[in-house]
Amino acid sequence: MSGEPTPVAVSSEVAPEDRARGEFYALLARLWYAAPDEGLLRVIAGAPDATAEGEHRGLAEAWRELRDAARRTDAAAARDEYDAAFVGTGKAEVSLYSSYYLVPTARERIVVALRDELAELGLARTGATHEPEDHFAAVCEIMRHLIGVGSTDAALQLQKKFFASYMNRAYNPLTNQVMASKKTSFYKYVARFTKAFCDVEAASLEML
Amino acid sequence: MANSRTRTSRRQFLLAVGAGGAATVAAIGAKTLPQKQQAGAKKDRTGSGYQLSEHIRRYYRTTLV
Repeated sequence: MSGEPTPVAVSSEVAPEDRARGEFYALLARLWYAAPDEGLLRVIAGAPDATAEGEHRGLAEAWRELRDAARRTDAAAARDEYDAAFVGTGKAEVSLYSSYYLVPTARERIVVALRDELAELGLARTGATHEPEDHFAAVCEIMRHLIGVGSTDAALQLQKKFFASYMNRAYNPLTNQVMASKKTSFYKYVARFTKAFCDVEAASLEML
Repeated sequence: MANSRTRTSRRQFLLAVGAGGAATVAAIGAKTLPQKQQAGAKKDRTGSGYQLSEHIRRYYRTTLV
């Protein structure tokens, strides 16, 4: 990374459908960053149905199942589950780092490339953290940021490129591992919801 | 500009799958910060209305703020 990050051009023109996508990413970032607290579980549990039409029911169904799972889960159980599956001492049961799923070796190259791209976008890691930038929660948060910049062609193309580079090949193996793990229960539904949403993202960004 | 037909079909697709509506998950986004972080969180706003969560603040410093 060299020089000062350049400021991000900010537009207030975020289309409603893109604003909604940003909120999905916010929720995913939050759920993958740390276990939900009691307040978030109750908000999810009380949320309304998603409306969907015809054969496109995957996301709405995954959402309903996540909501039902939230009703059965308390914060302490979610925290224990998150720690057991994703933190652990030594090698975690399931890695939440995208680069782990993108390349078999030399993962640091992905992290370096990502860091350079973030610098171009005007984002840089704070000195206070030593976490690599490719944590799935961070990648979701970056997508949210890119969506918040606006719905111009350039902004959408940037989202498409970032998704293709850091999410598209990672989300399937990551969510599959979470669903297959013996240490997860609530997070199986988080993973299903994540996969359903990323499927929609992959398809809709491909239309651009 | 991308042609408007592309934009329209993308919007219709997002609405059809339930990802484009504001009614469901969208209502939750604003409430997703962990409570312990909310307590001391300083809310930074950009011109886009994008709110930096405490989470991204931990990872990044942005020239927007």
